[in-house]
Amino acid sequence: MENGGYVGEVEPAGKKPIAELRGVTKRFGEVLAASDLNLSIAEGEFLSFLGPSGCGKTTALRMLAGFETPTEGDVLLDGKVVNTLEAHHRPVNMVFQQYALFPHMTVAQNIGYGLRQIRPRIPKAEISERVSKALDVVQLAGFEDRKIWEMSGGQQQRVALARAIINEPKLLLLDEPMAALDRKLRKEMQIELQDLQRQLGITFVLVTHDQEEALSMSDRICIMRDGRIVQIGSPQELYDRPNSRYVADFVGTSNFFNGKLQRSTDGLSEVLLDNGMRIQGMPGDGLVDGQEVCVSVRPEQMKLRRQGKGLEVEVHNRIFLGEHTEYLVTHETLGDFLVLAPRQADLSEGAFAVRDKALVSWETSAALILDRN
Amino acid sequence: MTKRTRNWLLLAPAGTWFLVMLIIPLTVVFIFSFGERASSGGVELALTLEQYTNLPARWAAFKNTMTLAPLGTMAALLIAYPLAYFLAVKTTPRWKTILLVLVIVPFWTSILIRSYAWIFLLGGRGIPALFEWVGIEGLRLINTPFAVLVGIIYGYLPLMVFPIYVSLDKLDKRLLEASSDLGAKPWKTFLQITLPLSVPGIATGCMLVFILLMGEYLIPALLGGGKVFFVGNALVDLFLQSRNWAYGSAVAVTLVVVMLITVTIYMRLISRLGASREDVSIM
Repeated sequence: MENGGYVGEVEPAGKKPIAELRGVTKRFGEVLAASDLNLSIAEGEFLSFLGPSGCGKTTALRMLAGFETPTEGDVLLDGKVVNTLEAHHRPVNMVFQQYALFPHMTVAQNIGYGLRQIRPRIPKAEISERVSKALDVVQLAGFEDRKIWEMSGGQQQRVALARAIINEPKLLLLDEPMAALDRKLRKEMQIELQDLQRQLGITFVLVTHDQEEALSMSDRICIMRDGRIVQIGSPQELYDRPNSRYVADFVGTSNFFNGKLQRSTDGLSEVLLDNGMRIQGMPGDGLVDGQEVCVSVRPEQMKLRRQGKGLEVEVHNRIFLGEHTEYLVTHETLGDFLVLAPRQADLSEGAFAVRDKALVSWETSAALILDRN
Repeated sequence: MTKRTRNWLLLAPAGTWFLVMLIIPLTVVFIFSFGERASSGGVELALTLEQYTNLPARWAAFKNTMTLAPLGTMAALLIAYPLAYFLAVKTTPRWKTILLVLVIVPFWTSILIRSYAWIFLLGGRGIPALFEWVGIEGLRLINTPFAVLVGIIYGYLPLMVFPIYVSLDKLDKRLLEASSDLGAKPWKTFLQITLPLSVPGIATGCMLVFILLMGEYLIPALLGGGKVFFVGNALVDLFLQSRNWAYGSAVAVTLVVVMLITVTIYMRLISRLGASREDVSIM
């Protein structure tokens, strides 16, 4: 890989790929929307594209759907190159961001739309039977004759889902499907979507900018930035072994200390921080001595104590979160950072109050040395 | 000011206009239609159906109006729809503005002047001359129903293009993608999604053009050369030339009744066509 970082498995081991992107680049005029995407999606997998708006995740999805053709590279479905195959010929269905339900049709007509396009014609009785079944699956049994505008946002989303899965696609694409739902409904739908995916065994590809959504639902996440794939991996891999500050920051919360990489010995390196301190940590791949780096330590990996060794800090703010307490602490030269103390630590050591002096420490293995970008 | 008086004030200007310029004149015409022609022209009030029994004398005008108005509406629709579709769906924003302006530009010139242009184009030294030049002789265009039809379509096309353009322009393009995603070929997407969702635009356009065509008199007068008469021409003739106000009033009342009946039938048809939509209530 060009960026030299840990990119994870481009090809998931053992499973047959249902879809692949091979060196896919997409330009809209001067704008580079996607650049050299390489990715293989396994059958039955739940994969998410995660990134801020404009990172190219939707473009990637639209190329899989057949709404865009790649400028360079190949899109493969089931082992066949489908670059110019039009959307209506692809065994792929999509749940659109604002659902894109047909306003002049009833719920049943919307859901049966895909089946009605098939030639030779499927008998009407069979279509209505399959529509009822699809409505059962999304828990909207009996809503056949409702008008679209009579449905709530959550119900519309289920209709959109039913309209897509009834066609038994090889690949189900979901474009920010939960963006228009309120928080509580979103949580419910996330669980339902996961159940549905296991139940149907269809490969899901989700596009989202919500890291929580991606972390909680996906088998693998593909993190994107400026049209490129930054890192692919399971949620745990991305959280524990981010390949850059960008990923560490995007997936979860972390504290970052800037410095220069000094000596890399096997497995352990030393960083000279900008304030003159030296910190040991685990170096990421492809870093060279003398490089500007940052050290990332997750808040929950830090320990707050009264005695012993550690950075001397003052507690600046305290937020009680139930099972955790979040401390914002200030170090003289390193500035502010976050420490997450489990309830147990607060109970055994006694909670810290604002303006208390404290000592912060962490295991060397918890300090990740990362590319600053 | 109470809410009630404010509402009345808001309605007052339009209401007054409506009363003075439409309701009262229509009532007067209705009353006149039962009268008789005064010996010096004008009307002598009476209560006779004589004018109505005389209506068949003007049958040709009614026949022309009732054939050329629907025909012109249909032709305008068939020409306007692809144009509106192209403008709304296929063009880039920059070209869209330029082309829309081009559609409106003819409106900035008087219909009279534009019709005179057609007199020349369809007249002996215009298109027929071109045909003669390639060997087809004896083609007569001016003063025929065809000439009137051409003038009508030309004059009313923008009125048809705009409502259809608006309904197609506000059509969510993701619906077309969704249709394609669900396996519909492009022409099926058009038939199942685009066309039904543009019905409100079609209905409005047809209604506008049809109603205005029923009362048209300038284009038939200029391009029909007194041979292709519309009801409108009959009215001008009766009121201004022969000064038979009573008969003219009867013709006018009949025209209004015919129009009301056609439009009612039309509305019924359209609302049945778009029965599943609430936004079809156009007028």
